[in-house]
Amino acid sequence: MKNKSQSFWLSLFFAVSVLPVVAGFVYALLYSFGLAGVYEIGFTLKNWAAILSSPEIINSFLFSFYIAVVSISIALFVALWFVINYGAHFDKGILSYVIYFPLSIPAIVAAFFIIQLLSKSGLISRIFFNLNLIDNINSFPDLVNDNLGIGIILAHTLLAIPFFIIFLLGLYHSQNLENLKQLSFTLGADKKQTTKRVLLPILLNKVYPTIILYFIFVLSSYEIPLLLGQQYPQMVSVFAVRKLQRFDLADIPQAYVIISVYVLIVIVSLFILFRKRKLEYDFDN
Amino acid sequence: MTLITKKLIKSLGIFLILFPFLFLLGLSFSTNWRFPSILPLEITPDNWLGLFSFSGNLFESFILSIVISVSVGLLSTFTGFLAGKYISETIIREKIIFLSYLPYTLSPVLYAASIYYYFVYFNLTGNIIGVIVGQILITFPFSINLFTGYWNSSIKNLENLVLTLGGTKLQSYLKVLIPISKRMLLIVFFQTFIISWFEYGLTTIIGVGKIQTLTIRVYQFINEANYYYAALSSCLLIIPPAFLLWFNKKYVFRKII
Repeated sequence: MKNKSQSFWLSLFFAVSVLPVVAGFVYALLYSFGLAGVYEIGFTLKNWAAILSSPEIINSFLFSFYIAVVSISIALFVALWFVINYGAHFDKGILSYVIYFPLSIPAIVAAFFIIQLLSKSGLISRIFFNLNLIDNINSFPDLVNDNLGIGIILAHTLLAIPFFIIFLLGLYHSQNLENLKQLSFTLGADKKQTTKRVLLPILLNKVYPTIILYFIFVLSSYEIPLLLGQQYPQMVSVFAVRKLQRFDLADIPQAYVIISVYVLIVIVSLFILFRKRKLEYDFDN
Repeated sequence: MTLITKKLIKSLGIFLILFPFLFLLGLSFSTNWRFPSILPLEITPDNWLGLFSFSGNLFESFILSIVISVSVGLLSTFTGFLAGKYISETIIREKIIFLSYLPYTLSPVLYAASIYYYFVYFNLTGNIIGVIVGQILITFPFSINLFTGYWNSSIKNLENLVLTLGGTKLQSYLKVLIPISKRMLLIVFFQTFIISWFEYGLTTIIGVGKIQTLTIRVYQFINEANYYYAALSSCLLIIPPAFLLWFNKKYVFRKII
């Protein structure tokens, strides 16, 4: 009876969680090789050759990596700084409640907020104009839909900071870091040494898997770059979907090449994460 | 640092956190905010009052989003709760946990694009059932991931005790397992609800524009440069998860790390 139930739930798990991913990946591969879909022309490598030799795709992946690395680095640095220096302030009072509020902001709303804040007709531009810091609407710099992806980075950073603060605060308490901090002071370490030798190694070691997962999340984000990005380079998801939606049927297999490459990157990242490799952490080396 | 300075910094922090909410709320009450005015020239409740009569029927999208997210949350939570129990006992438990990460780490929009063909085949595109099924493909593995770690030996021992004392399987669930797992069930429900509530990419692809959830309406309003209604729908999008997070903040994150 138990074995029957176990087989049933295991089958359901594979049917819902694994089969669609595998089926989707196989379909993407078949499409990319010209073996499926409306552009079925027989086995060909030309879509892969076209995509892999195109600077567009390389720049798209590089741009996505750049956005993910910069956003997460800023968010993690700020969150660590807050938790290590002002962790106790988030324990009680109104701050312990309001810090959860930003988690209720969806990516699309964050992007909309950034447009209203940073665009040429946004709130900051208006304040600058009224302070006579700019002469007209066009004098305000491009902070959304810009080359450096400032708007995209800011939107991701704003979403990630509260997430990492809450996550790190949880770790701070569960790992008894306040007690370890006091112990370190008692043993003669100063604040800098305590942070460098005790708090950061523990926090970074524990937050490492979450950083990888969040990295994958930002790498493939869609709504934020869709609204705040520019035509070139585009982030991976936006680039792939735009290729899927073009009228030229020859673009669709190329979109599936991008999807296949992206799925492989996610699988490899997860595999690295699950190899149980311990994060070596030492600032002196 | 003096006490007053500390309080000032704390107040500034709270203001910065709340600023996006206040800004969007303010914009949703505006009808005339032209450059270079810092504040809107007109503040009116008309946008909110028109919520029920607006031609695009935003309220309908709100209800549709609630129906989809509650269905996805409930189905994922209860199936995940039951499946997690059996999966936690298998010898391939670690492999299952690894595999459960796959669907929800994939970009929903790219995942949807890759399985779109099968949804067309099973006639699941452009309808609410298809969108619910599509979202469950992401939330069910997430739920399994949380519940597989939850089912430990002490909970299983309690179930065995009920069976030893003459209780039935159903009674063990209704009288013991579900009541003691209430907090965890709530956590998983809220998280899967929020994943579904925030979902945009997958709903766009699977819903083919026919399933107009709130996230899709926000995008449409931004594209139409109708910022006041975009702000109004953003507020509608934020209110339920903000309320849930505020109400359950002590259950979220800290208890599961």
